[in-house]
Amino acid sequence: MLVVSLAPAADAANLRRTSGVVILGYLGAGALLAGLVMGGFSALLSFWAGWRETDVFIQVGRRAFYAAAAMTAIAALLLEVALLTHDFSLAYVAEHTDLSTPMPLVAAGFYGGQEGSLLYWTLILGLLGCASLVASARIGARVAAYAAGILALILSFFLFVLAVVASPFDLLSITPPDGLGLNPVLRDGGMLIHPPVVLAGFASFAIPFAFACAALLAGRADAAWIRHTRRFALLAWSLQSAGLLLGMWWAYHVLGWGGYWSWDPVENVALMPWLATTAYLHSSQVQEKRGRLRTWNFGLVILAFLLVVFGTFIVRSGVVPSVHTFAISAIGPWFFAFLFACIVFSAALIAFRAGGARAHVEPAPAVSREGAFVLQNLLLIGVIAVVFWGTILPLVSGMLGTERVVGAAYYERAGGPIFVVILGLMAVGPLLPWRQAGSASLRAIRWPAATASVVLVGLLVVGIRSIPALLAFPLAAGVAATVFTEYGRAFKKPRTILRKRRRYGAYLAHLGLVVVVAGLAASHFAQQEKDVTLRPGETVTVSGYTLTYTGSEQRELQDHTDFVAAMRFGDKTLEPSRATYGGLGGQALTHVAITTTPTSDVYVVLAATGTDGSASFRIFVNPLVTWIWAGGAVIILGVVLGNVGERGAAPELARRRVPVTLPA
Amino acid sequence: MTMALRWGLPAVVVAACVGYLIYSASGGSSEYYLTVSQLRSQAPAGDVRVAGVVQNDVQKSDGGLHVTFTAKDGTASMPVEYTGTLPDIFQPGITVVVEGRLSGDGVFHARTLLAKCPSRFSTQPYTQ
Repeated sequence: MLVVSLAPAADAANLRRTSGVVILGYLGAGALLAGLVMGGFSALLSFWAGWRETDVFIQVGRRAFYAAAAMTAIAALLLEVALLTHDFSLAYVAEHTDLSTPMPLVAAGFYGGQEGSLLYWTLILGLLGCASLVASARIGARVAAYAAGILALILSFFLFVLAVVASPFDLLSITPPDGLGLNPVLRDGGMLIHPPVVLAGFASFAIPFAFACAALLAGRADAAWIRHTRRFALLAWSLQSAGLLLGMWWAYHVLGWGGYWSWDPVENVALMPWLATTAYLHSSQVQEKRGRLRTWNFGLVILAFLLVVFGTFIVRSGVVPSVHTFAISAIGPWFFAFLFACIVFSAALIAFRAGGARAHVEPAPAVSREGAFVLQNLLLIGVIAVVFWGTILPLVSGMLGTERVVGAAYYERAGGPIFVVILGLMAVGPLLPWRQAGSASLRAIRWPAATASVVLVGLLVVGIRSIPALLAFPLAAGVAATVFTEYGRAFKKPRTILRKRRRYGAYLAHLGLVVVVAGLAASHFAQQEKDVTLRPGETVTVSGYTLTYTGSEQRELQDHTDFVAAMRFGDKTLEPSRATYGGLGGQALTHVAITTTPTSDVYVVLAATGTDGSASFRIFVNPLVTWIWAGGAVIILGVVLGNVGERGAAPELARRRVPVTLPA
Repeated sequence: MTMALRWGLPAVVVAACVGYLIYSASGGSSEYYLTVSQLRSQAPAGDVRVAGVVQNDVQKSDGGLHVTFTAKDGTASMPVEYTGTLPDIFQPGITVVVEGRLSGDGVFHARTLLAKCPSRFSTQPYTQ
């Protein structure tokens, strides 16, 4: 259609470019194929050499993985070059960018579409896989070899899909003079940061999974694999946390419905691996410190990775209705097969190999740090179950009869109570000692309890009667009090904080989560909303904030036309607008105007404009939304301060075998 | 107390609680997701979600915040009435998912209106 009609005019330009440029597509496809061969070779050799414990071939297998990762990196580089040089002979480049797209967004086109984002996933898997294998020999030759084999298998699957099913290097029969451009919704700063962080968070959890499975295969049930992959698990968790929050931030600033989370399937499948990883980060400490929960940890790591694969399948196959889906493509069945293979492989491993992982340590009483971790784990898995059921209900009910769906109310009713208990556990758990509940630690609980009570009374006095709010805020305050109690204790001996950086970093992350929870609760329970139509000069007041509509104007920008309706708010001017993109059949896009006051966000959406100069607005006042983003930054800061450059202590069990009675 | 009891009991209790929460919440707040013709033929009580294509009779009033139109699928159609901000891509020809209920006069009163856009992450591919 468009391509054919414009082709003759572009021919001359094409002929000049073709010789140098089409080669790029062939080179890229060749790199992917070479990577696939290397990956397959690495997998076969690593498993065989690991089984025979032949050091030389283990080395060769590992290096073949490096080679496969290098090929992936070359392919990624070639795709980025093709994007930046506007090589529209590649279908991928033509479908996701055009000449008017700003350069940073052209570069971001790399992960803006189905094929490119898969290549990005593979690239991260390859790079982190290399990093995890470099020093892997010290945890045992066999485990290292099996881990290389499993990573190579996963990498090969992705390279196979990229090379055969959904190649980013497919050529168009005729090179168009310009591309179709990136979807307007994605033309935003959020595009530069949210997708790469989320996808990297997904990809990086393959590392703990590979080493866990390798340890099971090799019959090594000790915590060596946990220590070796701890950084990768933390990296995965941090990236997933940042990815979720950035996604919320982006949705909040771009979509214009006043919120940041809509329990869409795509959000759900990103949340579930995060929950499983959170559970694993806590329970793995029980194994590191106490040598317990071995089988459980294998199970959690496997669950987290399966949820990642499940999420990738859901997002890319279009089996569940969502606003986020990629274009319908042929990769759905392949990912389903991959998911199925992963489930069968993991289930077999757990069933046949986990028996030897039983710990021989005397059991701990229920009310102890171990007990708190176990309960927290069970509750997090409960939340996963709630979210999972809500996500697959349309599928299941559709197969059994009429399709049914659940909305936010379901997740709040089913998940809310569990979150409340988890919050309570966060207030109590850190005060409990390992192995036993000492009376000293029970006395420490009075601080969080007192703080929570004061906040509860305060809320009741102010006149708040919503039960969820009356639970969430006091418990969050209790968690904060626990963190401060622990810090207060530690400040008497400041060196403790440095010696136990991991622990105090984790407390900082807890504090960050409290801030996030406060922001979520406040903006959820106390959001104000108002629809209004105004003529120039007229004023509206929403929950104490006064806005004046001053008039509208039209602005021509690089790739779109903006219709701006200006509102005066104090000494600031808010400019909500509607943009129309010429190149895409006149697709419109709302630009929200947000201004932050000390307690609230004032969020203005231009809903419609009248011919008489009037304009209709939907105005939200969202309390404490900025706390969510700030709390997220504190969480990441806690992880970084607690772990970067931290060499990882020797295992507690090996260091001292005498019973520890005080909170360690 | 044996190991199985010590760890198994809390697990069973938590599982039972979660199961109850899921059961009660999904029973209370799940909705049917229907096409227009399914809605016409079975008309379930309570809120439903309905998918249909917006026809050429879109009428806006109240500064664009109130809209009425006809939603249609292969065989059946129904008038829809909705108040609120519309999705950016709302126009005749697109598929929308409306959530609400059918009133006695045959008009569907929508509480929410979402545009169903199967390829949000990419524009139309070139036909090769």
